[in-house]
Amino acid sequence: MIEKMREMQQRLEQSPHLHRLGALFSDTVLIKVDGREYYLVFEKGRIDRVVEGPSKRTPYRFGFVTDAAALEAFWTPTPAPGFHDIFAMVKIGRAEIVGDMLLLVKNLRFFKEVIALPRTAKEAA
Amino acid sequence: MSIEQITGRYVTVTVAGRRQRIYFEEAGQGPAVLCLHTAGSDTRQWRHILNDTGITADHRIVAFDMPWHGKSLPPEGFQTEEYLLTTETYMETVLAVVAALGLDRPVLAGVSMGGRIALQLAVHHPEAFSAFLAIEASDFQPAWYDIDWFQRPDANGSEMGAALVSTNISPHAPEAERWNTLWMFMQSGPGVFRGDLSFYTRDDSLVGQLHRIDTARTPVHFIVGAYDFTCTPEDAQRTADQIAGSTLAVMDEVGHFPMSEHPEGFRPFFVDGLKRVMAQVPADGA
Repeated sequence: MIEKMREMQQRLEQSPHLHRLGALFSDTVLIKVDGREYYLVFEKGRIDRVVEGPSKRTPYRFGFVTDAAALEAFWTPTPAPGFHDIFAMVKIGRAEIVGDMLLLVKNLRFFKEVIALPRTAKEAA
Repeated sequence: MSIEQITGRYVTVTVAGRRQRIYFEEAGQGPAVLCLHTAGSDTRQWRHILNDTGITADHRIVAFDMPWHGKSLPPEGFQTEEYLLTTETYMETVLAVVAALGLDRPVLAGVSMGGRIALQLAVHHPEAFSAFLAIEASDFQPAWYDIDWFQRPDANGSEMGAALVSTNISPHAPEAERWNTLWMFMQSGPGVFRGDLSFYTRDDSLVGQLHRIDTARTPVHFIVGAYDFTCTPEDAQRTADQIAGSTLAVMDEVGHFPMSEHPEGFRPFFVDGLKRVMAQVPADGA
């Protein structure tokens, strides 16, 4: 999973429109997968570093808590209903959002696009 | 160069004692089908159906922007008001447009909050319509979000609204149409999406009323997308189960904005739905 987080970091580096959308976003986000913690430290729309937990001392603003199978389903090119979106995953009970929800929704397009970056390109029809 | 067949004009009606200048678009000839857009958007959601010559060859497709939406301005004095849509105002607006345009018992096709009001009209004013297409429609949906997120001075409510509703767009939707659909939410006026959602997520007055719909006189057909997480297929089925004689179809690859996000995925279901309900309309037009 740490490789996926680093892939997200690398793909974000190659996504200039997300640097613009996230220009005011410099906060830490927790991604928790099957109990393992990954802290994404954002700096002006880029992921400055990925820090592996466990950590009780790393402050984060909000977190996305899920399981590996759900996240893999989310990252498929054409996800099944419920696995196509982070809020849909919450609705079907496969994810939870913790922390400052308002900060997430203020930056919702940015965060949704960042977390979907490992999703492979749509296969040619 | 190509010029589309859609024509747009304005009609002025009185709703709740207030003058409302309403923008509407239409195309085609034949029995009228009045189409209602979702919350936080406008008539452009219907652009593909309005341009579909296979449908407009024998149907007059009409769609209008609700006041405060699209090209329909808010009423005079709006600047000091909190926009909150109500069932009564919404029904009166639809009936005023039907009367002003001289539509003779049109089929009413409403999506999301438009589907909700179509069902309200099926209960309270069936005489004004021949049939109903309830698309992404249910009896009641409490919010799974805080509607006040969409109007606050420290956030961009329209971008936030677009990002939120993207939850309900299918990954099968063509990319260009996904973003066209989201753009309309990004253009929504301040507080308008919130005011629509107030109606959609807080008004439960339809609950317990659906048994009053007589589908022998006004047929009702539901269409719902599998990627709709605001009105799920289960929500639509629960609602259809309360209306004896209603029918329901599930679109496997479509979300909450079918006519806009995935026109090719929606078209066969819309055409089938129209055929279905028009075949059931009593011959005496009663």
